Amino acid sequence: MSTGLHLKPDVVEAASTLLGEMKAAASSLSYAALLTDDGFDVARYPVKSDGERFAGMASSMQALGDAVAHELSIGDSEYIIIASGKGHVVQLRVPGQELVLSALFDNDATVGHALAVTRSFAQKAADLLA
Amino acid sequence: MTMDVQRVTAEPPPPTVDFPVTVGWTQAAMAVQAVLSLGTPVHLRMDIEGHGPLLIDFRHHAFSWSTPLEDFPVDAVHTGLQTVPTSADAPPYFELPGQDLDGLLWQMGINAFGGGPAFWLSPGERYRLTRWPNLTRHSHDLRHVRMIAVLGNAYASTTELAAFADVEVSEAQRLINALSLMRILSRSAAAPAATMAPQAVEAKRDSLFARLRKRLGR
Amino acid sequence: MAEHVILFTGPMGAGKTTAIQSLSEIDVVRTEANNSERHIVDKATTTVALDYGEILVGSEEKVRLYGIPGQKRFNFMWTILKKRAKGMILLVNADAPDPLAELTFFLDEFRVLYDRGGVVIGVTRADVMAGPTLAEIYEALERTNPGLVIPVFTVDPRERDQMQNLLLTLVVNIEMRAAFGMPSVAGSR
Repeated sequence: MSTGLHLKPDVVEAASTLLGEMKAAASSLSYAALLTDDGFDVARYPVKSDGERFAGMASSMQALGDAVAHELSIGDSEYIIIASGKGHVVQLRVPGQELVLSALFDNDATVGHALAVTRSFAQKAADLLA
Repeated sequence: MTMDVQRVTAEPPPPTVDFPVTVGWTQAAMAVQAVLSLGTPVHLRMDIEGHGPLLIDFRHHAFSWSTPLEDFPVDAVHTGLQTVPTSADAPPYFELPGQDLDGLLWQMGINAFGGGPAFWLSPGERYRLTRWPNLTRHSHDLRHVRMIAVLGNAYASTTELAAFADVEVSEAQRLINALSLMRILSRSAAAPAATMAPQAVEAKRDSLFARLRKRLGR
Repeated sequence: MAEHVILFTGPMGAGKTTAIQSLSEIDVVRTEANNSERHIVDKATTTVALDYGEILVGSEEKVRLYGIPGQKRFNFMWTILKKRAKGMILLVNADAPDPLAELTFFLDEFRVLYDRGGVVIGVTRADVMAGPTLAEIYEALERTNPGLVIPVFTVDPRERDQMQNLLLTLVVNIEMRAAFGMPSVAGSR
């Protein structure tokens, strides 16, 4: 790939629309971001938030998850969950793309529901970009 | 087995040579030091038996020589040394970039003066490093690294350096000669003696450096 | 177990991952992603979290080698990684757009490692492009960090011998600083 997806206006626009739809589908969603594997912010919800720093962190976390899975010989890391007192972060790779979808849900959502929503929208992102 | 090396007396100098030199790197180092400290606008040409002419362009801090520094002829016989006047706007002495002069000064300094002090150094002085030599480009061993690290962190005389770094005085002297010729030492007659922390003296042979060095087989 | 943490810093493309691979005795833990900035630095992948390698010195002692991701957007990793480090190997590629600016930037950013132990600088890819001379590098260091006598070597991160020299120079320099009363205690058990 010569140019990052974050630099393609049509991808950025489609990704922003998709994250808006994700919020409409899950009211417990408080933040979501699509980012490149190497930590560039492609789109985020809410749009006005600062996504750069989070995109970097999410990509590091994804790579560390992969490194741990590789070290333990358990295949590729499928998703990463950070559960905390005030919410959960669910993060997974967009199938077939060098993209990661990372989403923060408040405690109104169960971890299972958060994972199901994120997985379904990661697939939608994959379909959109295929 | 030792080989008898017959030193050949220099033949009468060819017309271009200013004065004959038969002694070797000591004389060469003296000439280089004189040019560097006086800032005289000259190039130097040295003729070394069996090794072709060695040309030095001080303004470009470069030298040109067909003999690679890895094969530095420690005991070579110098047959001539010539200064060639130049000026700030004159073309370089040879096609640039040539080789970095520091590499030659390192070898010259280490091999001149037979382990005694360079003639421009004075008794009673202490030395401290002003910048590190680029060791990747100079043939060296880890005793050199250790000595240079001492000089990077404390003023030391030659004998103090030898004691701090656990090496022979002549070895410390050769390094000081080289660093001085490279002009990366500051010299002071007034700097007080440094003291090494007692635990460091104790740990010298069992420092991480020593353990790692052993581990890496260096 | 005694451990000594050495951090490899410097911009993207300086050769940090390669340097750690040259030195490490274990398979290096790498966290690489495809690089989407190939128009800026032309390499296929880039480190996004850390590299990790180690040298076992004895049965009870390890030198841990950590590499940072070079891009500024990962500076939260820098904060994490610099916490335990005692020394730094700062690598700068001579063919970077402004090697001197990169060098002073990373030295500033990780200055605490100089104060805590020591720093050595390796200039990489000097065979590809001449870049700044060592004299220019020392002038820049003197201007921005007067009084620091930091070793600066040209190195090829693929060459194990050269990287071992850099590492040993860092270690002995940290120890000598401590020995002569500088504020550092690294290197002795």
